[in-house]
Amino acid sequence: MNDPRAQTAYYESEAALRLVDKELDQLRDGAEMVSRFVTVSLADLPLILERANGQIRAVLSHLRETRQALQSTTFEKLQTTHDKIKEVTSATEDAAINIMDACDRASQIVDELDGIDASETPDRAKASELRSTLRDELFMMMGALQFQDITSQQLAHASSVLVEMETRLADIANLFDSSLATDRPLATLAAVDEKAYDPNATIRNAEERQNLADSIFTTVKAPAA
Amino acid sequence: MKFLVVDDSATMRRIVINSLQRIGFNETVEAGDGQEALEKFDSSVKFVITDWNMPNMTGTEFTKVLRSRDDGRHVPVLMVTARSVKEDILTAMEAGVNNYIVKPFTPQVLKEKIDALLPAAAA
Repeated sequence: MNDPRAQTAYYESEAALRLVDKELDQLRDGAEMVSRFVTVSLADLPLILERANGQIRAVLSHLRETRQALQSTTFEKLQTTHDKIKEVTSATEDAAINIMDACDRASQIVDELDGIDASETPDRAKASELRSTLRDELFMMMGALQFQDITSQQLAHASSVLVEMETRLADIANLFDSSLATDRPLATLAAVDEKAYDPNATIRNAEERQNLADSIFTTVKAPAA
Repeated sequence: MKFLVVDDSATMRRIVINSLQRIGFNETVEAGDGQEALEKFDSSVKFVITDWNMPNMTGTEFTKVLRSRDDGRHVPVLMVTARSVKEDILTAMEAGVNNYIVKPFTPQVLKEKIDALLPAAAA
């Protein structure tokens, strides 16, 4: 080892090895500490697991409550509301078609009346009959507008379901984070007076329903006026 | 003969009043709910046509109050309503309603029911 570069390398390597050895000693001490810590944790493990199990059960319970709340809201209420809104659409369309048909018939009657007026020998009796039919058609158009009262009750019911859903969804949000519930007031939609609508109001089977009312008033003695 | 027409729907009130005029009854008074109907009812009213579902006071509540009054005990009350299950019809009858029309109704049905109650109204 006469070469000065070789000697320098030797000393540096020895110094490096000493440093490594020192680091390893420190790591060994650390491992013993970790080993002691793990021993203590293992003793507490059943308790920790039990606590974790309780927390998981609580979360599952909240999730079940959430699921039940969502199910009862969506499956029943929403389906009924959907049906009601579909009926509103169909009743509106039926009424519009009935009114348009009556308009067409009324227009034809007016044409016939014009024809009678243009005649050199106007048939007054026929004209009178046509005017009576025209009045019936106009009256029928007005009667067709009864759908408005029934559909407004159906929409009032749909609106009340939305208000209820808002409350339920706020409750669900509250399960996860109670601070959400206070962010804004509930029932932003004005609640409809329950007295003002019938949740079962329908435009369907009017004749059948009238027959039922008549049979009850016939079989059960109505109060004398 | 004066009719009191009670319905929260202005459309329905107009349809009923128009139907009454067509069958010759031109004297009518209107109310939008049971409370207003009680205020407007007096002995000059000879026939009442009322809806069931109305805010503040329903048609059955109004009829019960009317029946407790001396001047309203015997006036004919015809209910015109969308409600049509058996229990509802019986409830209306118990409240003092004399006859019942299911919405939507035809002018013929309205005329039949009024005609049947006219003798009592004229008494």
